[in-house]
Amino acid sequence: MERKAFMSDMIRTELEDVVGVENVSAQDSERLAYGVDYFWIGRMWADRGNTPPMPDWIVRPASSEEVSRLLTIANYYRLPVQIWGGGSGSQGGALPMAGGVMLDMKRMDRLIEIDEVSRTITAEAGMIFQRLEWFANEKGYSCQHIPSCLTCGTIGGALAHRGIGIMSTRYGKIDDQCLSMEVVLPNGEIIYTLPVPKHAAGPDLNQIFIGSEGTLGVITKATFKLFEQPETRQFRAFLFPDMHSGFMAGRDIMQKLKPSILRFFDEAETMSIIRSILGFEKQGCFMNLALEGIGRIVDIEMELVLDICRRWGGEDLGSEYGEKWYKNRITFFYPGHIMDIPQMFGTMDTVATYQNIEEIYWAMKHAVEDNFPGVRFIAHCSHWYEWGTMIYDRFIMDHPPQDPEEAIRLHNQIWNAGVRAAMAHGGVINDHHGIGLKLGRLMKEQYGPAMQVMQGLKKSLDPNGIMNPYKLGL
Amino acid sequence: MFTEKAKKHADACRFCWMCRHLCPVQLATGKETNTPRAKGLLVSMFNRGLPMDEGAARIMYECLLCGACTDDCVTGFEPPLFIREARMKAVAEGVAPAYATKLIDTLVETGNLYGAKEVRAHLDGVPETGDTLVWLGATARYSTPEVADALLSILKKAGVDFAVLKDEPPSGGALGDLTGYIEDVRVQARQAAEAIARTGARRLIVLDSYDAALFLHEYRDWGVTLPETVTATAFVDGLIREGKLTPRKEALTVTYHDGSRLARDLDEHRPARDILAAMGCAVVEMFQNRRLARCCGSAVMGRALPQLHARIARGRWEDAQRTGANVLVAACPQSTEALAATVPQGYTYQDLFVMLDGRV
Ligand SMILES: Cc1cc2nc3c(=O)[nH]c(=O)nc-3n(C[C@H](O)[C@H](O)[C@H](O)COP(=O)(O)OP(=O)(O)OC[C@H]3O[C@@H](n4cnc5c(N)ncnc54)[C@H](O)[C@@H]3O)c2cc1C
Ligand code: SF4
Repeated sequence: MERKAFMSDMIRTELEDVVGVENVSAQDSERLAYGVDYFWIGRMWADRGNTPPMPDWIVRPASSEEVSRLLTIANYYRLPVQIWGGGSGSQGGALPMAGGVMLDMKRMDRLIEIDEVSRTITAEAGMIFQRLEWFANEKGYSCQHIPSCLTCGTIGGALAHRGIGIMSTRYGKIDDQCLSMEVVLPNGEIIYTLPVPKHAAGPDLNQIFIGSEGTLGVITKATFKLFEQPETRQFRAFLFPDMHSGFMAGRDIMQKLKPSILRFFDEAETMSIIRSILGFEKQGCFMNLALEGIGRIVDIEMELVLDICRRWGGEDLGSEYGEKWYKNRITFFYPGHIMDIPQMFGTMDTVATYQNIEEIYWAMKHAVEDNFPGVRFIAHCSHWYEWGTMIYDRFIMDHPPQDPEEAIRLHNQIWNAGVRAAMAHGGVINDHHGIGLKLGRLMKEQYGPAMQVMQGLKKSLDPNGIMNPYKLGL
Repeated sequence: MFTEKAKKHADACRFCWMCRHLCPVQLATGKETNTPRAKGLLVSMFNRGLPMDEGAARIMYECLLCGACTDDCVTGFEPPLFIREARMKAVAEGVAPAYATKLIDTLVETGNLYGAKEVRAHLDGVPETGDTLVWLGATARYSTPEVADALLSILKKAGVDFAVLKDEPPSGGALGDLTGYIEDVRVQARQAAEAIARTGARRLIVLDSYDAALFLHEYRDWGVTLPETVTATAFVDGLIREGKLTPRKEALTVTYHDGSRLARDLDEHRPARDILAAMGCAVVEMFQNRRLARCCGSAVMGRALPQLHARIARGRWEDAQRTGANVLVAACPQSTEALAATVPQGYTYQDLFVMLDGRV
């Protein structure tokens, strides 16, 4: 609906009435800051001097009650609502593609409680995750959600995209670590998921909102597990002759043990990133892992790991490379080390069973490298389960087209090819970065008739379709 | 308008999310535009033809230039570099916020941010020439004179002969923060150096850590020479080591705030802690200590955006409160100005020099 004359001002004063005049902005330079997240297309668009997508208003709530009142207003006026945590998402999930309201959640960054008896920590969802981890550290604990974006994204963003950290193999993904949440539904109702370890009171509401990418409501508070800091953390690196032996060694390790870190790199990544950061020169597939916990137990676990890796032809490289990798684990992500414009790049992470994973790796590599000249494909596996693992595959093109329209077309063609190859061989559309704007079009291909479950949820919770339009394929 | 270096840094920072958790302004406001990345994005857009309007200029003034982002950057990119140059552009293009323009006028008229004509620190009987010159800085002279008085009293008790300029000229620091490093700032630097040279001093003790960092870094880069320069904390710590001062020990649990210039620009962490130890104080560290310290404010921010300044200082108090110590100590007049104005109920703020003066 078109807003004529002073209608926008009328709406603005209503928003201001909720959060205060100083917490609503319609200023151009502020709106621009919300038009670029970590999504390559948004970055390229801005780099070429184009105007990014902008919200009409930025609104910064300070409490769940304010969020509730804001959503009621948005529903009345049918205003699109986007939620911005850190804006570090790589899928364009937070971009204000439909204008309207941008809820910047970062004022909601209070620590609510540390329950040392139960070992849980509760905070508002706009808190940058690193700060939650520091609050835990101050008391001698860790949340053990240590993604490379620990300092970049918020609690809400991690939950909304089903994020994962480097310690996930032992401590779980964000959906394992989050115990309960407060969520504001699109109609303004504030609801709570059940604050217990596990239950049989119907489906788990947590898992409806975790991964919902701002399309079903606003996550306003969350409670996470706390872990004691491990007594010891021991690293070990190995070199495998090929992908197959590394996958099988990883599976055998996972059947018996729970390393915190287990990362396995294909030859292309071993020869590029691992070589440049760790100075490791040999050809093959590099693996590094960490075992942690009680010293005496870890010693025994390490013996088992050495046995397994030996059996699959892994050369023992000692502890030095793993320690060096750990020390440099976020160096990879700083400008100058990480891929950046003018390159075109993307992370097509997928996950599958051990039965399928190797085939997926080759299918994706061929789909990308054989069909798109000048595009490189590198990969590593960083999160492992008893019965499968994920692949963090990346494509890189050094000289993409200058014309934005051509660049977007090629970008999407590469993504379609890579993700479809994964799905065709038993993989999924995404492992831990989410869907957002980038992959929404492929959700129906992934889910088929199962998509109606999500569409039904969307329709009943957000009948006016105000929440994060064009995202998650909803 | 931007230097090639600033352009390069802005282009690197515009797509980098790594340091936002450290920015004290972002933490106080929760605004995306108060992240180094958003400021980098805007500067990169100015370089691609986006005109800088008053709104964009305002965003550039919402920064303490505290260097937490720079210090975090593994690659060595420096948001304050392009933020300072953006302020230069804002002033040149007449879009700087009214409060900034007013402060610049005040600085030009009176030589200090406070618009003060009379120095409040007690300088009667203090000579203006001598081997050792104490540089107080504008905040201690006009806003927190008790800090200046305490330092001078400590030096007297230690038997140090010193001089202080009755009319201490501006160092250029405040102007540089407001306008970027334009030629007028270098002129102020040269004039300050000349005034110092006229005292005949061979040693310069600097109380204000912002001035100390400027003297030891930018002045050197600009070829402006000064006598041997030492921070007041390091100098006083030396006096204790040499046995010229013996503080009375009174057991007290405190937490210590590392000012950003001392901790990051000058990499000085030990002297203040040693002085506290010499007074019998047990220091419980805040989680963000030393180079990781969260900045609590600055004199420029205090005058330019007083409400935001108070919120930032309260953020640092929250860090202090979680340590369990009831007393917070800092060692820079600009920190004292920010923290003493925002003391939560049940807590006490102590300036390090004021505290020491009471114990020697
Ligand atoms: C350098 C770098 C490294 C990265 N490494 C990792 C990694 O190791 N592991 C990983 O999982 N990801 C990684 N990412 C991706 C990204 O950081 C994560 O997806 C992160 O969780 C996004 O959080 P955010 O707060 O920035 O979310 P945003 O980008 O602001 O938003 C992402 C989505 O979440 C929604 N959302 C945000 N807050 C809420 C809320 N409170 N309620 C409901 N919906 C909300 C938004 O609407 C949007 O759809 C990395 C990104 C970068 C830049
Ligand atoms: S210098 Fe300090 S206040 Fe300014 S952007 Fe960097 S961290 Fe924030």
